[in-house]
Amino acid sequence: MKTENQRAWFFVLPVLFLVAFNALVPMMTVVNYSVQETFGNNQFFWQGLDWFEQILRSDRFQAALGRQFLFTGIILAIEVPLGIIIALSMPRKGFWVPVCLVLMALPMLIPWNVVGAMWNIFALPKIGMLGYFMNDVLGVNYDMTQDPLAAWITIIVMDVWHWTSLVVLLCYAGLVSIPDAYYQAAKIDGASAWSVFRYIQLPKMKTVLTIAILLRFMDSFNIYTEPFVLTGGGPGNSTTLLSIDLVKIALGQFDLGPAAAMSLIYFAITLLVSWVFYVVMTKDDQ
Amino acid sequence: MRYLVLFLMLPGSALAQAQAGWGNVGQQEEKGFSWTDPLWPDFWMAWTPATLAVFIGIFSAIAVIGLLEGFRFRDGIERKGCLGLTTTLGDRLFISLLGSVFIFLAWLGFVGQPVWVPLFIAIGWGAFVFWKV
Repeated sequence: MKTENQRAWFFVLPVLFLVAFNALVPMMTVVNYSVQETFGNNQFFWQGLDWFEQILRSDRFQAALGRQFLFTGIILAIEVPLGIIIALSMPRKGFWVPVCLVLMALPMLIPWNVVGAMWNIFALPKIGMLGYFMNDVLGVNYDMTQDPLAAWITIIVMDVWHWTSLVVLLCYAGLVSIPDAYYQAAKIDGASAWSVFRYIQLPKMKTVLTIAILLRFMDSFNIYTEPFVLTGGGPGNSTTLLSIDLVKIALGQFDLGPAAAMSLIYFAITLLVSWVFYVVMTKDDQ
Repeated sequence: MRYLVLFLMLPGSALAQAQAGWGNVGQQEEKGFSWTDPLWPDFWMAWTPATLAVFIGIFSAIAVIGLLEGFRFRDGIERKGCLGLTTTLGDRLFISLLGSVFIFLAWLGFVGQPVWVPLFIAIGWGAFVFWKV
């Protein structure tokens, strides 16, 4: 048996306490709420698994879940390839490296609700620059407050604008860590640009790409602020993602029991998909 | 017919009340232990004995697995199971718990309550995971 220094555990303890109080205790409370009914005043009545059954069978939840998967799927399908392409085309050395990095980091520095407000004003017809340009210069009928398709395009473009940089920066960090010797060897062997990418750059980027995809999945699956500020879930319910619907049930209608059941289902789905992603992407390393 | 039943029952219940005495009328009935009543009514987390038992179960399972991994099977605990995953005891606990959650949710969504059948499916799933995966 190998003797190890276990002192590191003590340094982790404060984090453990923090997580216990800001994640575990609320989580337990949510589990307690999800099997009871309350009318406020700290009075609770046992309800069993009724809320879970009700939520799982409601069309409203199923529609919101479908929209959520659609949104996350589109986001990942755009941001990951785009991020890799941008990272590959960024300079590796010289004057332009810091300029590119700062430009890439800028969207991520803006608070989420400000991003939503910016894009809201930007995309409004007649007032915003994008809305005016689309409607009055190009003559395309574009109104995100009336047309569900326009609202969807707007939230997707907004998210791509906001978060592609994360994928870019992580991939770029992976790319610059590849020693020149690999590229020289590839050159000697006469490898094409595609094989350099496929057999050198992609395997070297794999770890950071795993992290990038996981982060983008979790963030976009739990997204609330930006679409809420931008469209408020509308027009109608067309951009009401799962988290927006959850907040409507919990804080708008004050149905704490159903909201708790819904958030537990939401949590289970997020956990499962993240775990599957992680297992699939780290499988070859084992 | 209904009045007849009521008429026949009335003297009986009055008699029973008279036998028991009037001492407990208007007093709160003394309740026994219930799994589903609020455990600490003045506290904000809305615990019930049932939900507390669930969490005690999960945490003690984690503790048992942790102790087993720490002392009993310190080396050579990892194995490659039938799904092609390399898992330790803790991984298997995670997989069986997460799988059980979805077994229950699927049953509630497609069939409904009660949940005795998915309980047995979940136990079977857990046994399968610890045995094969």
